[in-house]
Amino acid sequence: MKRENFEPLTAACAKCGTCRTVCTLYPERKSEISVARGKITLVEAAVSGLDGNAEAMQEALSDCLLCGRCERGCPNQVPVEEIIMKGRAALAEELGIPAWKQVVFGKVMPSSAARGMARKAGAAAQKLLLRKVPTGSGLHYRFPERFGFEGRTVPGLPGTSFRESLEPGEALRGEVILFVGCVFDHVFPQVGRAAYETLLLSGKGISVFDGAACCGLPALVSGDRPSALRCIEENVRRLSDASPERIVFPCGSCLLMFRRNILSLLTKEHPLYADAVRVADRCEDYAGFLLASGVASRLPDPPKGERTGHIGYHDPCHLSGTLGKDGEGREVLRAAVGDSFSEMKGADLCCGYGGTFNIRDYPTSSKIGQNKVSVAADGGTTVIATACSGCILQMRDMAARTDPSLRVVHIAELVFQAFSRR
Amino acid sequence: MMNGQAISALREVFGERLDTSREQCICYSYDATGKMFLPEAVAFPVSAEEVRRTILLANEHRFPVIPRGAGSGFSGGSVPVQGGVVLSVERMDRILSIDAENLIAVVEPGVVTETLKEEARKRGLFYPPDPASLKFCTIGGNIAECSGGMCAVKYGVTRDYVLGLEAVLGTGELIRTGVITVKGVVGYDLTRLLVGSEGTLGIVTKAVLKLIPFPETAATILAFFRSNQDGSSAVTGIIGERITPCALELMDRTAIDCVRENVGLSVPEETGCALLIEVDGSKESVSSEAERVERVCRRYGAIEVGRAEDAQGRERLWTLRRSISPALRKVNPVKINEDIVVPRSRLPEMLAFLADLASRRRLKIVNFGHAGDGNIHVNVMISGTDEEERRQADEAVAEVFRKTVALGGTISGEHGIGISKAPFLEIEVGPLGVSVMKRLKSCFDPNGILNPGKIFAEEGVAQR
Repeated sequence: MKRENFEPLTAACAKCGTCRTVCTLYPERKSEISVARGKITLVEAAVSGLDGNAEAMQEALSDCLLCGRCERGCPNQVPVEEIIMKGRAALAEELGIPAWKQVVFGKVMPSSAARGMARKAGAAAQKLLLRKVPTGSGLHYRFPERFGFEGRTVPGLPGTSFRESLEPGEALRGEVILFVGCVFDHVFPQVGRAAYETLLLSGKGISVFDGAACCGLPALVSGDRPSALRCIEENVRRLSDASPERIVFPCGSCLLMFRRNILSLLTKEHPLYADAVRVADRCEDYAGFLLASGVASRLPDPPKGERTGHIGYHDPCHLSGTLGKDGEGREVLRAAVGDSFSEMKGADLCCGYGGTFNIRDYPTSSKIGQNKVSVAADGGTTVIATACSGCILQMRDMAARTDPSLRVVHIAELVFQAFSRR
Repeated sequence: MMNGQAISALREVFGERLDTSREQCICYSYDATGKMFLPEAVAFPVSAEEVRRTILLANEHRFPVIPRGAGSGFSGGSVPVQGGVVLSVERMDRILSIDAENLIAVVEPGVVTETLKEEARKRGLFYPPDPASLKFCTIGGNIAECSGGMCAVKYGVTRDYVLGLEAVLGTGELIRTGVITVKGVVGYDLTRLLVGSEGTLGIVTKAVLKLIPFPETAATILAFFRSNQDGSSAVTGIIGERITPCALELMDRTAIDCVRENVGLSVPEETGCALLIEVDGSKESVSSEAERVERVCRRYGAIEVGRAEDAQGRERLWTLRRSISPALRKVNPVKINEDIVVPRSRLPEMLAFLADLASRRRLKIVNFGHAGDGNIHVNVMISGTDEEERRQADEAVAEVFRKTVALGGTISGEHGIGISKAPFLEIEVGPLGVSVMKRLKSCFDPNGILNPGKIFAEEGVAQR
C-alpha cells in the first residue's frame, strides 16, 4: 500500500470514536476492528510498515457493509468508503483476485450476452436442484441444508429478461435513457418493465440503455478496479455518444456508482474524464425523475382502501444516505398509494446486504437483515417498497425465511399498479 | 514481554475471546489522543470472574493489564504504554437493573453512557453526566476518568452519581464498595477513591449509580458579547444572581471565528464572546430564571440575546456550540486539548492570560467550554510538522498549568492525568500528595500490574 495514496485520506481521522455509534456491523462484532477508526488505523499501519500481513488486512477491510454511516457521522468528514475501497484494491493487486471473481467481474458482468447466458443456466439449475418457496413477492428457491448455504433463498430466475421482452425496435431512441441495471433486467424483469412503462408517462422518448456493461460497483467494492474501470469506460463512452437529457436509475447503488464513484476511477488524466463528468451530471434517481417530470402529480388518486399505512419505504443506504435522496421515494410512494403509505419502523436501518459481504458472511448479513424486516413487520408493515436492487434481493430472502407473506417491491411496481388502475 | 505460558493461560480463560493478532492489537493501541502503543493481546471479558482470573495470571506472570471502555479518552488512560493485555469491557454491556423506587441503576462497565441515559429517561429518570462523547463512551471509562460534561455546573460529575462499585483489585481480589442507599459512612470511602483512579487501583466490573427525576422542562439562551471580559463577567453575574443553569458554556472569539460563517445562525459581526445558557426545572421556575438570565446578560453588555423553549429551537441555538469541536481542524490539523478549571471568579483573568500567551508564543489557541464551573477547554492548534511550533506549544501548556494552579485551579477537570498530564501531577498535588498516592497504589496493586505508566510520570513513558 502506497503512502501517498492513503495519507491524504486518513490524516483527518482524529480517533475520536464517533464511528462506533453508527456502524451497522459494530453491534454484531463488538470489536474495534469492525469500525472505521480501527480500519483506518490498520490502513495507516500497513502504509507505515507496522503491519505487513496482507491477508489479515484484506480480511479486516472486507468485513464492512460500506453502508457509509461512519462517513456521514464523522465530525471530520473522513472519506471512509474511499479509504476502504482503495485499500481493498491495493490488497487485491498484491494478493490477486480469486478466480471466480475474475470470471464474474472480468467476463460476465461487462458482457450483456454472457449475463443472459448465466441467467438461463441459473434458471435451469434452480428448477432441478432447489426447493420451491412461494412468497408474497413471487417464487423463491431455498438451498438444501447440505449445500451449506445456511438456509439461503434466491429468487426464481425468469426465462426472459426485461430487455429481451421488448419488441424489436422498441425503446432504442429517446432523450431520456433508462439505466435498468443487471438485477432489474435479469432477475426481476418486472421492475425493469414497471420503471420503463412509468417513465413513458413523462411524455419523453425513453430508450433502454443498451450498454454492454454492469455499473461496475460489485467489481469496485471487491477491489477489482481494472474490471470496474472496464465497465465504466464502456458505459461512459456509450452514454456520452447517445448524449441524453437525463439518465434515470431505478437502482440507488448503480446511481451511486455514476454520481460519485466513477470520478474516483476516471480521474482527470483519463481521456474520458470530461465525458464522465458530463454523464455523471445527468444521472438521476427514478423517483426524482418522476417528481421533476410531473408524472407523480399526474397519477390517478389512490383508492381509499380499508387498510391504511401498511406500505412502508426502506431507505437504501447509498440512495438515502450517501446521495442524500431520502425524500423522493417517499413522495412518489405517497402519490401512488396515498394513505396506504406510512413511515415504516426502522426505515433507515441497513438491510445488511453489502454486496459481496452477503457472500462472505451470510450468517451476519442475514442476522442484520432479519432484524430489519422483523422490526418493519412488527410495526405493521406488510409491503416494503424501496429503490435499490441489493436491498430488494436481501429483503426478499429475509422475508422468504421469516415471514413469506411480507412483500418486498420496487416503488416503480406500485407506481405502475396505480397507473394501471386508471 | 508476555511469555507463551501467560498467553496460553489466558487462552484457557477466554478461548476465542483472546486475540493476539497484529491487526487486533493495532486496533486496541490508541485512544482519542491519537497516541499509539501496541498491546501484546486483547481480551474481551464477559464476567467479573474472567477479569479476576486475568489479574491473578498477571500477578503470576507479571504482565500489565490495561482496562478499556470505548477508547474515547483524552489523556491516554487506556493506551497500553508498557504492552501487556488490553481488557476491553465493551462486551460487558448489560444494564442489570433500573430501580425506579430507589432511584438506582446497576450496570456493567461496558454500557454506553447514552444507552443508560435513554433507558433512565424512558422511566422519567435522569442520569446527568454528559461528556461530549456520551454517544460512544462507556460507564466504565467514565468512572475510571471521572468524566464530567456540560451539566456539571448544576448536576456534578460522574463521581456524584456512583454509590457503589464491584471491582477487581490489582491483587485479584473482588471487592464491593459503597452502598445502594442514598447515605452511608462506613469506613473509608473506597468508592470515591476508585472513581477517577484511571484503572490503576482496580477494574470496575459493576456499578451502582444514582438517578434523579428527569427535569420537567428547559429553556436555552444564547447571548453574544463584545469581549471575553463582558462574557466572563456575565458568567459571574449569573451565578451571583443565585441561578444555577444546567449548562453555561462560553465560546471565545477564536472559537466563534471557526464557525461564524457556516453555522446557520446570524452571529453579530462585533461578537467577541458568546454564552450558551440552559436552565431546567419546573415550568414556572424555568421561565422566571430564563428571564433573569437574559436580564443579567444585557446588564453585562450583551449585544444580542436569543431564547428558545421548544426542542427544535433549543437545538438550533446549540448548533453554535456543537459545531466548534469538529471545526477546529480548519485552524490547524493537530489539537493539543487541555481541560483546566479555575474558580469561576478568576475566569476573566485566565482568558486574558490565554490571549496574551497565544500572541506571545505565536500560537493559535482556541478556548471554549463549561464556563459555569470554571472549566475551559484550551485547544492549542498546531500544524504538527513544525518543530519550533511544537516546542512553543509544549511550553505554553506548561505555562497554562502553572497559571491555573496559581489561580487556585486544577489542571484537569474531566479528562484525567493518564500519560499526557503525568509530568505535571506534582505541581498541583505536591510531593506529599504524590507520595501518599503511590503508597495507596502499592496497597491496591502491589506488583504494579494495573495500567502501569499512568498518572505517575517517572514510572512510565510519560509522553505528550
